[in-house]
Amino acid sequence: MMKSKQIVRILSFFLLVAFSNVGLTVGQDISDKELLKNATGAELKKAISSYKGDKAVLVNVWATWCAPCIEEFPYIVDLKQKYDDELHVIFISADFPGQRDNALEFLRKQNVDWTTYFKTGKDQPFIEALSDDWSGALPFTKILDQEGNLIANWEQGAEYEKFERHIKKAIKK
Amino acid sequence: MNAMNLHKSLIVLLILSAAGLLAFLPVEDNFDDRIEIGAKAPLTDLEVTDVSGEVLTLEEVAGENGLLVNFSCNTCPWVEAWEDRYNPISKMADENGIGVIMLNPNAAIRDDGESMEDMQARAKSSDYNFYYALDEGAKMAEAFGATRTPDIFLFNSDMKLVYTGAIDDNAKSAQAVDQHYLKDAIQKLVAGKEIDPKTTKALGCTIKWPK
Repeated sequence: MMKSKQIVRILSFFLLVAFSNVGLTVGQDISDKELLKNATGAELKKAISSYKGDKAVLVNVWATWCAPCIEEFPYIVDLKQKYDDELHVIFISADFPGQRDNALEFLRKQNVDWTTYFKTGKDQPFIEALSDDWSGALPFTKILDQEGNLIANWEQGAEYEKFERHIKKAIKK
Repeated sequence: MNAMNLHKSLIVLLILSAAGLLAFLPVEDNFDDRIEIGAKAPLTDLEVTDVSGEVLTLEEVAGENGLLVNFSCNTCPWVEAWEDRYNPISKMADENGIGVIMLNPNAAIRDDGESMEDMQARAKSSDYNFYYALDEGAKMAEAFGATRTPDIFLFNSDMKLVYTGAIDDNAKSAQAVDQHYLKDAIQKLVAGKEIDPKTTKALGCTIKWPK
């Protein structure tokens, strides 16, 4: 009798551990270093073009202090999940260096579980590496199709529908 | 081909034509037309109200050697980062016969930190030594093609644009600046020398346009 009670306790313990791990898995199985990598404009350009021939790409430059960025961020995360087979999302935090931890905390809260980037270096080469059109105002979004052709880019925040409309155009749906 | 089939073919043809036309539509963007180097300052006779209550126009603010317009606000961390350079640059411009005005275009969030009362408080706490006026309906920002805060436009004595863009290349630290774009532009303007670069870019907060 004692033995079966002990077995039940041990099993319960393992089940508890197993289920609490499930809760932690979402957005947690990537290290801080991988979740938010430092990158210059040139490195970002390379990262974006690495998806050419493979997936459409949505690039979004955001910052924790930028209200419209925070508002639109969950839309992009949702759409990445919805069109995961055909679309990759490259988030780039333009937070000041001292706010890196805030950016990481926000990414974890949004369940981002893929590599994103943290802007390093001067503003001008960073802006020019991402777009000739962009003035530097945040947020900034750029969507490319699988062949690397520009489908849309814009400054200011956007609604879910606008993101989805351009994503669909990029993945030809 | 019977009438039914002809009807279907026409529909298919129409859909294909529409799809073909869509492919040639321009890439969607929202990049407003920024005034170009050499262009005259717009809306120079439009009245704006300064935090002191004084009603001004850009024509009146301009000095004998030109005018410096900075689109700025109260709630942007980039403004905060660059703010320690506002007063020294304004002093330098003033000493060189260039009038200075800062315009707040954040019309959509006047009830959220960008009201005239908020501007008055900011001008007092930061001890601004230049005009800080409300850009009602962001009319000035729209006419200039400004996009962010801070955003700089420097005009010569003919009110023609000679420099636009960033204050310098390091928002976070005045001590770590490599390129003093705006200071250099002011010095060269007054000395009658060629300004280079004439346009620069920097990160900033989007202007909160009226809805």
